Amino acid sequence: MARALNELRSVYVVGIGWHRYQNPSETSYVTLGLAAIREALADARIEWPAVESSYVATALLGMAAGRPMLRHLGATGAPLLHIENASASGSTAFRQACIEVASGISDVALAVGVDKRNMVRRSDTGIDHLADDAIVPFTHFALLTNEYAGRHHVSVDDIALVAVKNHRNGARNPNAQRQQDRTLDEVLGGKKVSGSLTALQCTPIGEGAAAVIVASDDAIKRLGINPDRAVRVTASVGRSERVYPPGVGFDAALTRETVELALAEAKRTPGDLDIIELHDAFTVEELHYIESIGLCAEGQGIAMLKDGALDIGGRCAVNPSGGLIAMGHPIGPTGIGQIGEITMQLRGEAGARQHRDARVGLAHMVGVGAVCYVHLLERSA
Amino acid sequence: MQPLRLLKSQLYSERGDEGRLADPVLRGGRCRCGYVFFPMQTYGCERCGSHDDALTPQELSTHGILLALAVVHLHADKNRLAPFTVVKVALDNGPVVRTLLADDSGEITLGQRMKAKLVPVRQGDGETVYDLRFTAIV
Ligand SMILES: [Zn+2]
Repeated sequence: MARALNELRSVYVVGIGWHRYQNPSETSYVTLGLAAIREALADARIEWPAVESSYVATALLGMAAGRPMLRHLGATGAPLLHIENASASGSTAFRQACIEVASGISDVALAVGVDKRNMVRRSDTGIDHLADDAIVPFTHFALLTNEYAGRHHVSVDDIALVAVKNHRNGARNPNAQRQQDRTLDEVLGGKKVSGSLTALQCTPIGEGAAAVIVASDDAIKRLGINPDRAVRVTASVGRSERVYPPGVGFDAALTRETVELALAEAKRTPGDLDIIELHDAFTVEELHYIESIGLCAEGQGIAMLKDGALDIGGRCAVNPSGGLIAMGHPIGPTGIGQIGEITMQLRGEAGARQHRDARVGLAHMVGVGAVCYVHLLERSA
Repeated sequence: MQPLRLLKSQLYSERGDEGRLADPVLRGGRCRCGYVFFPMQTYGCERCGSHDDALTPQELSTHGILLALAVVHLHADKNRLAPFTVVKVALDNGPVVRTLLADDSGEITLGQRMKAKLVPVRQGDGETVYDLRFTAIV
């Protein structure tokens, strides 16, 4: 019978690291990736030869980018696998690393995401559409913003408050691409992109790296890793889009069913969540997804936002890292960086961004195409 | 009368013999399971997986309801100059489609009845072809 991750042996996040997300630069991806991996190894206080398997998440670097980077850590001969799953590449790599450790095949595995902005074309399916070239992602979400505002009778200026919160969080995150507080006037007054979306309501184009090391109980004992800083992965679920009733937004519907499975796996309810890192590439997404996760009823997201319930220190801190809007979305790293942020929060090591008494965190990513990945992490003690 | 030169003749056509003033139709398909989709393809049904002969072409009326609109202010592709308006329409037959609003459409509001028409567009080579755009039913 099929089994969930939580029914296999326990798996823990024991090391996290980043290369700051930043504007496109001359820095090689090798430099970005190595910085994140070395920081994660140092955080776990283990040496590279202890890592038995590596998952390299990239969407834009082309074929086989991993080995030319990993060889500079000392070529150990350990297996490595590249994972491309659009925006969810990093989340998928993390899930595979967790599965490998939970299954008992490895005791220590690495998930590393690294990307630089290269133009990558999706292959032609042979099926044409009326005007796909006119509907890039920001216009897809501009349409959803218009629909959300109309259906729930909310103002598009209120939807922009998501960006004010996430820029505020990003301003306190040294790994964020955008580290500047923004007023609502600044957000609304910026460059108009599509529909009501302005530039500061959209994720920036950037590059960077994030790494996470996962380990079993055996490895924690054997390698002398501090168990108090280990954060347990209590659910891992991946799904892809189904056929939904006409007019139902697939991003939100797919999120709803994926989160339901993940909460059931960890025996948790939405009210248990202290931290959520979710795919806020565009402001309206945060509202869709907190409603799909079940923090509030459909259309009530703005009320929570205005009450400060989604702030650090509120009922549930949503995107304390700054999210995709402020921390950034270099693609391969993004889902792994979310795991790192939640781990910091659950350890109580998030400094100026620390949410009080954080015990349970949820990481959510969607990827165009469309896939959804959700993980739950919990403080051990 | 010469048939119009269409930009994407695999996706829509002029309606049969009623002439140019009639509304165009979308070239959709229907699976033997009853699922109606756009555009037509025979790779396989997204709902049940039946393929090839189980999928038959079905002309779809372009009449429907406006679900969303967005005025696009920034667009990198030089072949489409911003600003232009994109609309999302739930067809009466089921599928939801997205494409451009006709330049001469009247004011539109959510929930509004919409239909498509063929509008002339100038191509890079100077030739005029017809493309399908939505417009408000007034
Ligand atoms: Zn079917």
